[in-house]
Amino acid sequence: MKNFIIPELGENISSATIVKILISVGDIVAPDQPVLELETDKATIEVPSDVSGKVVAINVAEGDSVSIGQAIFSVESAETTDQAKDEPATEEKQVVAAASTKSEERPAEAPQPTAVTSSVQEFKLPELGENISKATIIKVLVDVGEKVSIDQSVLELETDKATIEVPSTASGTITELLVAEGDVIEIGTVIFKVSEGSSVQSQPSAPAAASASAPVVAEKAVEIVPQQAVVADAPKVIPVENQPPILQNAAPAAPSVRRLAREIGVDVNKVKGTGPGGRILLDDVKAYSKALHQQRNEIQHIKAEQHQEPLPDFSKFGEVERQSMSNIRYKTAEHLSYAWHTIPHVTQFDKADITALEEFRKSYAKTAEKQGVKLTVTAILVKIIASALKKFPQFNASVDMQAKEVIYKQYLNIGIAVDTEFGLIVPVIKNADQLNVIEISREMNALAEKARNKKASIADMQGGCFTITNLGGIGGTFFTPIINAPEVAILGVSRGNMEPVYIDGKFEPRLLLPLSLSYDHRVIDGADGIRFLRWVIDAIENPMKFIIEG
Amino acid sequence: MSQNIVVIGGGPGGYAAAFYAADLGMNVKLIDLEKNPGGVCLYRGCIPSKALLHVAKLLNETKEAKEWGIDFGEPQIDLDKLRGFKNKVVSKLTGGLGILSKQRKINFVQGRAKFVSSTSVQVTKEDGSTELISYDKAIIATGSVIATIPSLQIESKRLLNSTSALDLPAIPTSLLVVGGGYIGLELGSVYSALGTQVSVVEFMDRLLPGADQDLVSHLQKRISASFDKIMLQSKVVEIKEVADGLLVRIENKDKQIEEHVFDYVLMSIGRKPHTAGLGLENTKVQINERGWIVADNTLKTNDDNIYAIGDIVGEPMLAHKASHEGRVAVDAISGKKVAFEPLAIPAVVFTDPEIAWAGITENQAKFELAKFPWAASGRATTLDRNDGLTKLIIDPETERILGIGICGPGAGEMIAEGVLAIEMGATVKDLALTIHPHPTLSETVMEAAELFYGHSSHIYKPVKH
Repeated sequence: MKNFIIPELGENISSATIVKILISVGDIVAPDQPVLELETDKATIEVPSDVSGKVVAINVAEGDSVSIGQAIFSVESAETTDQAKDEPATEEKQVVAAASTKSEERPAEAPQPTAVTSSVQEFKLPELGENISKATIIKVLVDVGEKVSIDQSVLELETDKATIEVPSTASGTITELLVAEGDVIEIGTVIFKVSEGSSVQSQPSAPAAASASAPVVAEKAVEIVPQQAVVADAPKVIPVENQPPILQNAAPAAPSVRRLAREIGVDVNKVKGTGPGGRILLDDVKAYSKALHQQRNEIQHIKAEQHQEPLPDFSKFGEVERQSMSNIRYKTAEHLSYAWHTIPHVTQFDKADITALEEFRKSYAKTAEKQGVKLTVTAILVKIIASALKKFPQFNASVDMQAKEVIYKQYLNIGIAVDTEFGLIVPVIKNADQLNVIEISREMNALAEKARNKKASIADMQGGCFTITNLGGIGGTFFTPIINAPEVAILGVSRGNMEPVYIDGKFEPRLLLPLSLSYDHRVIDGADGIRFLRWVIDAIENPMKFIIEG
Repeated sequence: MSQNIVVIGGGPGGYAAAFYAADLGMNVKLIDLEKNPGGVCLYRGCIPSKALLHVAKLLNETKEAKEWGIDFGEPQIDLDKLRGFKNKVVSKLTGGLGILSKQRKINFVQGRAKFVSSTSVQVTKEDGSTELISYDKAIIATGSVIATIPSLQIESKRLLNSTSALDLPAIPTSLLVVGGGYIGLELGSVYSALGTQVSVVEFMDRLLPGADQDLVSHLQKRISASFDKIMLQSKVVEIKEVADGLLVRIENKDKQIEEHVFDYVLMSIGRKPHTAGLGLENTKVQINERGWIVADNTLKTNDDNIYAIGDIVGEPMLAHKASHEGRVAVDAISGKKVAFEPLAIPAVVFTDPEIAWAGITENQAKFELAKFPWAASGRATTLDRNDGLTKLIIDPETERILGIGICGPGAGEMIAEGVLAIEMGATVKDLALTIHPHPTLSETVMEAAELFYGHSSHIYKPVKH
């Protein structure tokens, strides 16, 4: 028996509501067959199965809220879905139920089980479609050491026809990755090598109908593989299927359009046609493919808004050099443009008196060091912000303009912008309210280290509620940080400066920390903005009050 | 490394697959019983019958010409020469295929193939020698055979099937065609034109049961005049050789037994798949209860190494379906993501008038119709052939063309426009706005579309809405 588990749905999506269950007990499901319609805060998506067999139990109902990793239904391995059509299974061999359930998580650094068969397979770029001989890699979705399974998306490619995800036809652990993002590769280029497991030969990404009839048993080397029943006496006779009427489920699309859709993995029947009579045009298929791809990607990009004015010929003015943007740079650019375009930003400035806090921090530094951490202002701010978010729930929210709803989060994850040599990334401290400052510091160090070593996983960067960006190490007074959508606020921290402060009739030197709070005016009004910031400053300046109130 | 492909059967499906595979750079072996590719279609089917139907049409027109003031007198028919013409057509085309196959460096093996395993076939040649051929992928394209009714299958030179009828053994004084499908009606038309008194027995209540009645009615009217008897809802229960012909006992629609003597009888009750002797038991290929090989939409059978195309995988058993499937199978083998997913497969009956249809038929579903009778066609009138009809079947919501049916001379040539319209998801408006040449029969397609909107030039029939 195997369980179907809600897979990762994309960045910032941790749970979803079941709109529709597309299967029922007794159904035969095949890999890639849509089984659930989920509504996330991004979109309604169909979730394809990654297991095959006969559904024996469904654990959820429509309207349920489910989260990633939750078991939805369980299947019994069926020999082939074709034969299982309730035909008296006279001579079929009973399949030995696969003993082990396959693990869905990809343990990034977990030690790999020693391969029983240590054959090395290559995954080559399969045919992508007629007239497509090469493509540019936008994204490599796997890494050395990672386990891949058949049909898992491993590459994102941009061809001159469309952007497509390439599913693996090999399974096992990646031992060698031979391509990088930005590479232009050709059909047949070896992408990676895997050890252990098997690969599907010469039938790259067989269509669902074909793969349905062959159970993919490639995940584990140490399980009893159901034998393909080889019956040697007579060809099997199976009942005539009713020939479907020719035009049933026939989308109005020209043959060339249908062929392209198939080639790039789009179900043409799902494409909405914009032509007369709902005719599906080539551009409709491309647009649909692109939309699918974007939906899978974390954020809805507003490409249209990124149109750029024509650039002048810079070489007229002097020498120039063109460099391609790194993937992180590009994603950051896209993401921030999106945030900038969609969120009405207000930035509120204020200063916090951290004289006492700094004194304490310095005196406590040794103690902290003994516990293996460096106590920083940022760590303390994480703790304070976590409390502030509890006080001001509208700061721990997201906006769903389509649904005309505000989503309030019941968890407190704080992201921290980290400057790395390869770009800006934002690891997230999960459940910051449940950690003390030492624990927060430790977590921050670990995450920052991972990020700088390119070891951070997508999960490390997901699920943030609020972001802190501290530029104080470098300098500056105030700045206007851009909100990390779909969050609704961000706190910018600058360098603390000794300034004269008029206290009790005279100027005293105090250490003041400039704070810049940007918030989303769609859900937060100006008064709330300054109330929030004052609360934070109050907590910094009067820790006792914070302990009592926070 | 190019793949080794074996194609079994050199008919229109098999040779199309073999040629395309070779064009894609695969190593191809094509196995067939005949000396050259061609299959039933070229040797004993579509092609020779069309050669004879061309002659039949000419004969009919010379008779009709009397009405126009031209009298050719009685035609003198030299049967041997006519047969020679038909045979020349066949050998020219099959020989051409042999050359095309050589040009593509296809290894053509003459013999009978039998699967030994999922990766090899044994070919038994005419001289009894055998050759074992292993392959990466095989394509079964062995087609279909003539269906028979064993109880009526007597030993007699006067009992013809579609193959022997094409060999023109004689011009019978009378001929009974058993089966009112397209094969029987086409061959019946040939013999009728040659001067034979032709009768038809059909089990169903109408001729050409697959086609819409309004298309068949013109044909039925015409052959009712030129044929002797058309017996519907009737069946042959016994055939006996008698001194001057074959005595046929027919149970008519009133359940009465009639006895008639015919000079010749043509059995044309259909075709069926034939897999016996192919050695499929040595592979994982499965067949269904009607004898067709089971294949998915890429034409792959249950055996990963074996594909099957054409008549052997099911209806419609038509050459053009087979050759399209052949190319899909080869694309699939080459690793492309493809599927056999036509929206329309045209069917043509080459009688006089011809009947052709594609997409959904009126029998299958109720949709809006636009029917343009050829009585309103200038071109049809110049041919003195107003016995035609062009019909569009339309989705009322989107105005998309879902089906087309044509009856009349040249319908077989005209149907392709309708097929393209269906495949392209064309709307009625598209057809109405496409300029068609005048004066042609093809205008009837445009006029049918205009009629849908109530403004066909040559018919006054305003629409209600």
